[in-house]
Amino acid sequence: MRTRTLVHVAALSAVGAMALSACSNSTSGGGLSGSASSGGGGGTTYTVAFEGPLSGDNAQLGINEVNGVQLAIDQANAKGDLGFTAKLLKADDGGDASKAPAAAAQVLQDATVMGVVGPSFSGASKAVGNIYGAAGLTIVNPSASNGTLQTLGFKTWHRVVPNDYAEGPAVADWMAKKFKKVFIVNHLSDYGAGVAGAVEKELKAKGVTVQTAGVDAKTTDYGAISQTVKQSGADAMFYGGYDAQGALFAKALTAVGFTGARVAGNGVKSSVFTAGAGAAGNGWYFSCGCQDATVAPSAKDFTAAYTKAFNTPPSTYSPEAFDATNIVLDAIKAAKAAGKVDRAAVNDQVNKTDYAGITAQIKFGPNGDLPAGTGTVNLYTQKNGKIVSLGDVSKAS
Amino acid sequence: MTDFMNYLVLGLTRGSMYALIALGYTLVYGVLQLINFAHSEVFMSGAFGSYLVIGMFVHDGQHLAWWQVSLVMILGLLSGALVGAGVAWALERVAYRPLRQRGAPKLAFLISAIGMSFFLSQLAGKLFNRLSQNQFPSYFDQNKAVLHILGAAVSRIQLIVIVTALLMMFSLDRLVSGTKLGRSIRGVAEDAPTAALMGIDIDKTISRTFIIGGALGGAAGFLFGTTFVFSNIMGFIPGVKAFAAAVLGGIGNIRGAMIGGLLLGVVENIVPTAPWDGSGGWIGLQWTDVVAFVVLILVLVFRPTGILGERLGRAA
Repeated sequence: MRTRTLVHVAALSAVGAMALSACSNSTSGGGLSGSASSGGGGGTTYTVAFEGPLSGDNAQLGINEVNGVQLAIDQANAKGDLGFTAKLLKADDGGDASKAPAAAAQVLQDATVMGVVGPSFSGASKAVGNIYGAAGLTIVNPSASNGTLQTLGFKTWHRVVPNDYAEGPAVADWMAKKFKKVFIVNHLSDYGAGVAGAVEKELKAKGVTVQTAGVDAKTTDYGAISQTVKQSGADAMFYGGYDAQGALFAKALTAVGFTGARVAGNGVKSSVFTAGAGAAGNGWYFSCGCQDATVAPSAKDFTAAYTKAFNTPPSTYSPEAFDATNIVLDAIKAAKAAGKVDRAAVNDQVNKTDYAGITAQIKFGPNGDLPAGTGTVNLYTQKNGKIVSLGDVSKAS
Repeated sequence: MTDFMNYLVLGLTRGSMYALIALGYTLVYGVLQLINFAHSEVFMSGAFGSYLVIGMFVHDGQHLAWWQVSLVMILGLLSGALVGAGVAWALERVAYRPLRQRGAPKLAFLISAIGMSFFLSQLAGKLFNRLSQNQFPSYFDQNKAVLHILGAAVSRIQLIVIVTALLMMFSLDRLVSGTKLGRSIRGVAEDAPTAALMGIDIDKTISRTFIIGGALGGAAGFLFGTTFVFSNIMGFIPGVKAFAAAVLGGIGNIRGAMIGGLLLGVVENIVPTAPWDGSGGWIGLQWTDVVAFVVLILVLVFRPTGILGERLGRAA
């Protein structure tokens, strides 16, 4: 009797789980996938997929990006010279490497998808790079900055931002000018470990005393680590991690009375951090291989259109996602002009990209990354609850 | 020594909150032999509820006199406790009582609990927001040190959390061991059919047990939200930890939950950071959860019923 009950329960919960996952698929997929496509040129429809966190703790970053993608698609459709109708497919991976393969499967099911913008996060990118690669579907990544992704043999990998091996040393050089002892806190994620490692290496090379510690990526308790940072006597702290957790850490550091400087990578620079950390976030520095769309002159039109469409100014990685989408759209257009639109042809066209984007002049090296020396790493700081740009980190004082 | 004390204070603050939440698990387990996995959401709703109430009286950046701060704190605790108690009461009515009346197997309760946990957490996300860090208005300087123990600074908020938690635990202990309601709770826990024969209304007692556990959990939600941040998914990790704390102390044992909670908080902060010299520690903070659960396993290996033992129906 007992085993029978167990079997019933197991069967029931299995059915329930399937029903649930079916629900979530249909809401994040079909239901929301269509943009308000106006204009439309020609009968065929090609889809640009976005994969990133649209729910959960890190959803803000995904929303920043998907809005950029949406805007690029809407503008292209409205302009009417595409020769096809562009559509957006949103795949939500929650920013989680374990959910990314399911999101990728959802993308690959749709035969009209010709390119992926995303995944937003490095861990998720690592998990699905080969899945997209095997399907020949081009990836144009707007934000996953881990420094090893380009070395993993992903066949269709492209990325429009400098990776952490470019960003980390740049901010470390700046820190080496100002600080004698740096405590590096590594949030144990692919992104966090990557950027923390890059910063550590460069700081040591410059003769700065470095101490490191790791914290679990999901913890909410930053009291003990803050206490440790304070006791170490470091005059600066570098945090390799993401915004939501960074805000908790910022509050805890203030609570224990740490007086040194706080520096973090691109993962922390967002409105989630400023809102969460409040006053405790003031004075934090952020490095980012991204453009501040509210000040960069090339992005003015973009900022205006974005603000109009979404009632909020563009935030971290919105411009990058906008550029990445335009690269995919241009590649589809070029493939169409060359006579054949399929995933392989689009990927070939993306490889040949030379695109004047609002963030930079974008070309891809053989490994899919921006060639060395292109792309600027900027320094930002939080002032009175707002993130302001301090310009190129190599020139910042 | 100073450094050690700093970590100890951090651990006690954390541990007090674990203990308050753990009491909810242990009380319900006592009367129903059921792990109420939705209790973490009772804790969460306490945070949201008290936020709504407090938000009517104070706003961010306001400076209040000490007695006003105390009033707001008491209001927050009461409203958090009230909301927590209400949610726990409704939870029992909706998710457990119908099952109990139909004599459903134990597993059905468990699934019902998990279902309610998802439901409440998503409901809060729908009703309020899904941001990961909502904050209470800041109406006093929480981090100002008010007390130095062996060189370690104890901040206002830490003192408030520890003292209120201890007070609530003491009152609960008195309530369970000294009042009529406490006696009926113990009676139901020890032997429900016999208790019913003695004239105890079992349904009412179970309902009230949920209310007491919910009130403690809701108040803990307020304290947690004030100290850290709150969100619709804030309950999960503290919930798992508090459940572990309840098992550590001996599930069903009220004093056990208190000791288990405090101990778990202290272990989490002290063990990974030893030798407390700012070097990051021999073990390192990334191992915090591993340390906590290794301690749990070690205790259970040598004392399978927890530190104080699984003693249903007795105060200690």
